[in-house]
Amino acid sequence: MRPHRWLGALVVACCLLAGCGSSANIGPTGKQTRLLTVAVGVDPDTLDPMRQTTTTVTNIVQMVVESLGRVDQTGKVQPNLATAWQESADAMSWTFTLRTGVTFSDGAPFDAAAVKANLDREMDPNNVCPSCSTLAKAVKSVDVIDPGHVRLTMAMPLAADVLLGLISLANFGMMSPRAIQKGTPQYAQQEQPVGTGPYMLKDRLKGDHVTVARNPTYWGRRPVYDEQLFKTVPDTATREALVRSGQAQMVLLPPISDLPSLQKDPTVKVLLAASDRTIYFAMDTADKTQPLLQNVQVRQALNYAVNRDAIIKSTLFGAAESMTAPMAPSIFGYCQVPNPYKYDPDQARSLLQRANASGLTISLVAPTGRYMQDWQAAQNVANDLRAVGVNVVGPRTLDWPSYIGTVVVPPVKASVDAHLLGYAPQYLDASTAMQILDPSLIPPRGLATAYYDNPTVTGLIQKALVEPNRDARAQEYCDAEKQAWNDAPWIFLWVQKFPIVYSAQVTGIGSVPNESFYTVYAQPA
Amino acid sequence: MLTYVGRRLLAAIPTLWGVATAVFIMARLLPGDPARVIAGINASQDQVDHLRRQLGLDQPLPVQYLDFLGGLVRLDLGTSAHFGDPVLAEIGSRLPYTAELALAALAVAVVLGMLGGVVAAQRRNTVVDVVISTVSVLGISMPTYWLGLMLIVLFAIQFRLLPAAGADSPESVVLPAVTLGLLSVGLIARMTRSSLLEVLGQDYVRTARAKGVSPARVVVAHGLRNALVPILTAIGLQLGSLMGGAVVTESVFGWPGVGRLLLDSIFSRDYPMVQGLVLLFAVTYIAVNLLVDLLYVVVDPRVRYA
Repeated sequence: MRPHRWLGALVVACCLLAGCGSSANIGPTGKQTRLLTVAVGVDPDTLDPMRQTTTTVTNIVQMVVESLGRVDQTGKVQPNLATAWQESADAMSWTFTLRTGVTFSDGAPFDAAAVKANLDREMDPNNVCPSCSTLAKAVKSVDVIDPGHVRLTMAMPLAADVLLGLISLANFGMMSPRAIQKGTPQYAQQEQPVGTGPYMLKDRLKGDHVTVARNPTYWGRRPVYDEQLFKTVPDTATREALVRSGQAQMVLLPPISDLPSLQKDPTVKVLLAASDRTIYFAMDTADKTQPLLQNVQVRQALNYAVNRDAIIKSTLFGAAESMTAPMAPSIFGYCQVPNPYKYDPDQARSLLQRANASGLTISLVAPTGRYMQDWQAAQNVANDLRAVGVNVVGPRTLDWPSYIGTVVVPPVKASVDAHLLGYAPQYLDASTAMQILDPSLIPPRGLATAYYDNPTVTGLIQKALVEPNRDARAQEYCDAEKQAWNDAPWIFLWVQKFPIVYSAQVTGIGSVPNESFYTVYAQPA
Repeated sequence: MLTYVGRRLLAAIPTLWGVATAVFIMARLLPGDPARVIAGINASQDQVDHLRRQLGLDQPLPVQYLDFLGGLVRLDLGTSAHFGDPVLAEIGSRLPYTAELALAALAVAVVLGMLGGVVAAQRRNTVVDVVISTVSVLGISMPTYWLGLMLIVLFAIQFRLLPAAGADSPESVVLPAVTLGLLSVGLIARMTRSSLLEVLGQDYVRTARAKGVSPARVVVAHGLRNALVPILTAIGLQLGSLMGGAVVTESVFGWPGVGRLLLDSIFSRDYPMVQGLVLLFAVTYIAVNLLVDLLYVVVDPRVRYA
């Protein structure tokens, strides 16, 4: 046969092969309740609850491993494995009442001994638990009172919201004691978590997917889907293709520029979930090479110069809201400031003139692909600043590790005047949100990269950390926020939304405002 | 012959040592602190320092280097800083997927490429030849990212024939293999065409035709067989680079191979993983080159190794 006949035969064979593929994963999802497929952008680095540092991975782990408390969809801590808690009069101990009749999926009973085993493991200084240090420093010991009660004896008092927020973290999740026995390698790292949650770990293919299957002995309401599969798909456009073709029922973070067309597509629904991530340009307020930035009028001028609403509309396609306080509205302790720096280039110019800063030159740096349209938005901000007469050098960009190596540095090593950051507190309390304005957490000790130091604000933050009265606490934070807002250590930008796209044939998709999705009780529409 | 193979393998050792040293230095030249990256931006400084000690990154560089070399001699590539488990195990779990994709892509490239090259050579300077040459150039210059997405739009969304991402079902490899293969098709087609043309102009081919050998046998038995050496070289080079992991294709299709693993490891400053993967690619390249050189002996009886 002539060679080109072979070519033709080959093409036909390929088409037949493609057509004969099994259609189990292809085609419309229908009303099946067997499997929910969710496409996420990151591959889980670890499934050990203790070692969690990434919200999306934590999300998946929390379907298997539960904690004493649970953050609900409004951001409040609800009873979970603990049904009640009581703080002692002197605030130096907490007693937790544990839920009865709960067993781990391997049959071990959930009781006070299990709680102690887990908390001790998580607070063990030899174990890797990047988020455990706050509680580890505050708690002196964990004691079993009886099988249904546990006492936390404190080394220092913690405000109730802080303690409860911490105890709801996945990092303090409860695994079966049989799975984390001291002396075994699993004590240091357990990649096959066994918990009390609505689902159990079924299988994992690194780089490809994690599957969880319904836990038949779960104590709470039975989920609808037999299994949920979390597929790792790093490319945003491919994720969109998956939900549009029905090969996934839900995806996180589609390409932002496609939001308008997704919102018009009747086969999918777009959920712009509330998030606690604030985006801002932190300014180097200790900048010796640019002393003009130490003048609060100059910093306020830069805030007036940025047209946030226009940037949100054109570059973020509506997936954000202007900041109205140094923290997101979903956080306890948020209060709206009276003067939100509305776009006013004339005011910006006049402030700069009054401060003798008309020839101001500043350098900007921003990451690419770390936050929603970060690089693009940084260029918008740079242009807005130039429009009021500021000389902007950059914005430059770097890959993420190099970026944090450049911006999370002590004041003497700072090399850029302003850098873009997005901060999402791990639990929805102002104590975490205000950490980045606390001078005791200036790098290398923490993330206060604007080197902001106002003793009034610091005093209020420290008072609120241990304040027992909830309303007084909220007021202290409110005063601190208003002062910090006026001091303008940042160019305040916006609060990101957390876009989730899911098939119109599915319902019951929820979210928690710390960039978590909630698919436990999803069901066919 | 065996001594030849033995000598080649011995010569590989200093090469691999050079690669190991180079990647050890280059990884540490990248800005950014691995302990901070892995602990996450929210971690306290104490946690970061503690992690740095656990990862052995607080040791002086010569000590780290000697530890690394010592591990290599024992075939121990160390523990991944990002995942926490042995580097060899992590790579081992991804390698079969890269191998599957590389071989599938190579099959697409070789079959389509050689067929196209043979047809183009036979119908030199006709419309068919021009079309095949144009498609070859297009194949080499088309951005993989765009091609991959176009195939997804067409076959996954529009026709719902094939999966858009993942490696769960047997047909998941089709789209990524075609995307990756089309890159190499052009190269192999043009190499086949030019090599074959050179051979078909030789006197012995004229003799064969004059003898009455069928056209098909002339092209295949006499033509291709003699043209194979440069084509084999091209194929070998393609296989080497395919095994190096097609980062873009793996990212677009969510394919769990070593290419994406390397990219992620660089971004998370996972030194042991980066070192292990680069060494793996070096070993693969050396092995493939050796294989190709040995195949020359099979294909061309004039080749003898002392």
